[in-house]
Amino acid sequence: MIEDRELDAWREQWSSVAEPSADFQRDFQRKVQQRIKREERRFVLGNILTVIAFIAILIFAWYMRHQSTWMGTGWSTSVCVLVFVSAGVRMWVLRRTWRPETQSTRAFVELWYKRVEARIRLLRISTYLSIGWLIFCAALTAVDWSIIGQDVGDHPKAWVALLVVCVLMQAVLLCYGVAWLRRRKLAELNEVKQILDEMDGKSVR
Amino acid sequence: MSERRHDLEAQFDRILSEHGAAISRLAFGYETVTSVREELVQEIALAIWQALAQFRGECSERTFVYRIAHNRGLSHVWKRRPPHQPLEEIEESDQPIDPRPHPEEQAAQADRRTRLTSAIQSLPVIHRQMIVLMLEGLSQAQMAEVLGITENNVAVRLSRARNMLKDALGERP
Repeated sequence: MIEDRELDAWREQWSSVAEPSADFQRDFQRKVQQRIKREERRFVLGNILTVIAFIAILIFAWYMRHQSTWMGTGWSTSVCVLVFVSAGVRMWVLRRTWRPETQSTRAFVELWYKRVEARIRLLRISTYLSIGWLIFCAALTAVDWSIIGQDVGDHPKAWVALLVVCVLMQAVLLCYGVAWLRRRKLAELNEVKQILDEMDGKSVR
Repeated sequence: MSERRHDLEAQFDRILSEHGAAISRLAFGYETVTSVREELVQEIALAIWQALAQFRGECSERTFVYRIAHNRGLSHVWKRRPPHQPLEEIEESDQPIDPRPHPEEQAAQADRRTRLTSAIQSLPVIHRQMIVLMLEGLSQAQMAEVLGITENNVAVRLSRARNMLKDALGERP
């Protein structure tokens, strides 16, 4: 067996980096147990709040359904569908049958890369969908102006101006948010790519 | 249900007793600030607890713990991305010096320890993992299992990582 004094010296120094005493170990375990309890309480509370929010939205949507305009009915139906889809997605996510952290580092980083790529793709699709949604709403308002115009009273022009300002503000906020998120995700993608390259031995920072 | 939970808690306590010190050391590879490092160690422990129910023994318990610890460490590095502390800026160790005989020797040991941890923290993340796993005494086969690369790759990368560590410590001419 070849003696590796350099490694032995490093190991000796390394082993003394953290030598927890029995008291430290007990304290550490106590803190971890407290944290687990805290996380479990947060999890339960989060689920209760979600259920309350879902029920409140459903009641509101049901109330809106009985409004006279057909837009109220359409809105409430789409909200109901959205709530049930969200509930389904949440339950699917909460199954927690598999955790990427338990995989090897390579598998974990590859999955991380794919997830960031998917989020960037989702961001792009969401942007297009949001723009499409704004255009659709504007077109719908224009088409049904004869019905909506009766609801907005004596100042339809002021109402339209307010609507345009709101839409523009939303568009600006959306663009700013998307640009910020996209920059962040691209930086993350770059970082993960570097880790993957390091694993492949392509580059070393 | 409660019996299963009781078993899991017992298993978790045993894992923390057996690997708690190693987890604390692994965290040194990813975080320089003591308070944040303690937070990271707790996060790793929490991740182990959350994954424990799904652990079916596909790999050894040690590999399972080290995988979670390193993957959490990687995520932590991305979220935090602190500038590492250069060796030149190290003034003194943050660990107290034991007031027993030979304080000079203990101060020198503390200094060597600090230099080693800072040198490790200065390495690229994958080489850092290699070095930490090597220092923890894992075989190349076990390292390959944790990292998800072949044993040959481990040998090549390990040699490179050791040279980089020596450079960082200033031990190579």
